[in-house]
Amino acid sequence: MKRHSRKAITTASVAVLAGLAFGAQANEGILKRSANDWPSYHGDYKSWHYSDLNQINAGNVGKLTEAWSHVASRATRGLQGFPLAVDGVLYYSSPYNQVYALDGATGQMLWTYKQKLNEDLVAKQTHSPYNRGIAVGFGNVYMGTLDGKLVAIDAKTGKLNWETKLVNSEKLTVGFTGAPLLVKDKIIIGSQGGEWPWRGPIFGVDAKSGKEAWKFFVVGGNEGTASDRRDTWGGDSWKTGGGGGWMPGSYDADTDTVWWGTGNPAPLYDWAGDEWMTKGPRPGINLYTSSVILLNPDTGELKGYHQVLPHDAWDYDPASGELMLIEQGGKKYVVHPTKAGFVFVFDRTGKPVNVYKGVDNINFVQDIKPDGTLVGRRDMKEGKHGNLCPAIAGGYSWNSGAYSPKTGLLYKVGFEWCMDLEVVKTTPILEPMAQLNIGANFTFQPPKDGPARGHIRARDPVSGKVKWEMKFKVPPHGGLMATGGNLLFIPEADGWFSAVDAATGKVLWRHNNGQGHNGGTITYMAKGKQYVATVTGFGSLVGDAYGELWGEPWVSMPKDAGVLKVFALK
Amino acid sequence: MATARAADEAPAPAAPAFDVKNAFRNICGFCHEDYGRKQGKGPQLMDNPNSDDYLFNRIRNGKPGRMAAFGGAFTDDQIREIVVFIRKLKPNENP
Repeated sequence: MKRHSRKAITTASVAVLAGLAFGAQANEGILKRSANDWPSYHGDYKSWHYSDLNQINAGNVGKLTEAWSHVASRATRGLQGFPLAVDGVLYYSSPYNQVYALDGATGQMLWTYKQKLNEDLVAKQTHSPYNRGIAVGFGNVYMGTLDGKLVAIDAKTGKLNWETKLVNSEKLTVGFTGAPLLVKDKIIIGSQGGEWPWRGPIFGVDAKSGKEAWKFFVVGGNEGTASDRRDTWGGDSWKTGGGGGWMPGSYDADTDTVWWGTGNPAPLYDWAGDEWMTKGPRPGINLYTSSVILLNPDTGELKGYHQVLPHDAWDYDPASGELMLIEQGGKKYVVHPTKAGFVFVFDRTGKPVNVYKGVDNINFVQDIKPDGTLVGRRDMKEGKHGNLCPAIAGGYSWNSGAYSPKTGLLYKVGFEWCMDLEVVKTTPILEPMAQLNIGANFTFQPPKDGPARGHIRARDPVSGKVKWEMKFKVPPHGGLMATGGNLLFIPEADGWFSAVDAATGKVLWRHNNGQGHNGGTITYMAKGKQYVATVTGFGSLVGDAYGELWGEPWVSMPKDAGVLKVFALK
Repeated sequence: MATARAADEAPAPAAPAFDVKNAFRNICGFCHEDYGRKQGKGPQLMDNPNSDDYLFNRIRNGKPGRMAAFGGAFTDDQIREIVVFIRKLKPNENP
């Protein structure tokens, strides 16, 4: 850890920031979130992407208009993060690890932070230079960096308080792009991993000092502990197994448990076909990749897990997909839409109690039983294979869905797309620095039942029963947000930003933001007024496929521009 | 489910020499679909109208937000082999 001369935030300076989210009990700021704030990537620990605010509602949203905006510099691949808002101040991150603090009511800039990056390294990264979000607490704004650090920025001044190097990105190429999660006095952050030949850890870092507290290796678990399952990797394949946990998880305070989705094994595809238990590049079930893991936030100890895809051979890792803490009929669940296009419903111990299809075009398995058992796997040997569904980008992508306790509905963008592929043998490239290990050549294709397309389905989160559906010729790729005003906000891929009736899906308001959306939407209060903020800019690893599939305007859409747009009632 | 017990298996040997096809499969194919014979997230490489020098420099230096720089991963000679690989791509014949 590198400590700078600037002293760590003191109790006195914390007091300047009145809200719980920045107080000595920062955990409480998320746990007992004020409706006025959006203090964590998923809104709060329930991960609903929902706010109780209702000043803007289905009755008056037609009067919503742009209040102010902020242009991010070097917004290569667009803005892909979620802003946060605490005590009327809006914070957001942009590519190349830049962070901004703005007056939530006026947009007046309070400070800008630009991380000093190893630019030569960043230029060598394929999954870069975007950042998908930040965390706040203890007077700091926390961010993972492209070159493998966790940094704590003084929330009041924008100055660096400390930075801790966690990943040797110069050797492993990857670092951090996902948002950290503050739990109690720890910052928890998962590394990039799935495509790269290493062990993709998830880290716990002391939120005040920056000292690394624990590290959990997604590939094989931790040696010398009960979690050690390197025996689920043939030979030395655990050394180059991928893993990681590239999006933030959730926290169940009732059981003091962190829930996190993990990345896929490497190589993504496996030429051994159905002989994968004993042959191929990574024989075995490959714990704990493509799993949902339950961790002790204080120690990183593994408390439980469910491997969503034993020996994932399709890159449908559940690292993406929010883990929503939902109660229904007196029972507590965790609802998790996964990249495979299935929605998993767990009890709070991590045991699946229901699994249902969220999208129509799925053929990598025939089905998944309610207890999570895969039925009729499609394991593909070396050679050409047609019409694998969903495509590598997933039946659900990494941007979030939403859940409204008012309607009792889960909202999620689904993708109907497939691909042809040729599974090939590869050898990991480790020197002079690690490189992608894909294991297939592929090409996106429309599904057999029609053109490539998308939809938003509003459904009971536990049973999966659909109440209403919006169909899209081109699926949105921004995060959804639901509000107490009976609204669902949809950042669309062509630039339109829409608000629909959360109970019916009826479109109530639309505004064109001028370019596609790849990031999230939040709402907050500042000086007694409700604001809705979203971010623009296109060109993520998923968004880059839009031009290939749907042509214009995505072929010509800027890949280096992004704007924060903030709306309020006239 | 039973787990693999393959600790006695020998680790995969490191590639002794530069295998351009392996490199392309590992890395380039993520964006350049079907061995670069079809546009994907990245452009089609087969019959690319740009010069060999252009391709060499693009692979070596990248372009921010569009393509990573592989000058650190591959030597100049290896990048030249990748350019030759691209130039030999044919529509109906696997490289």
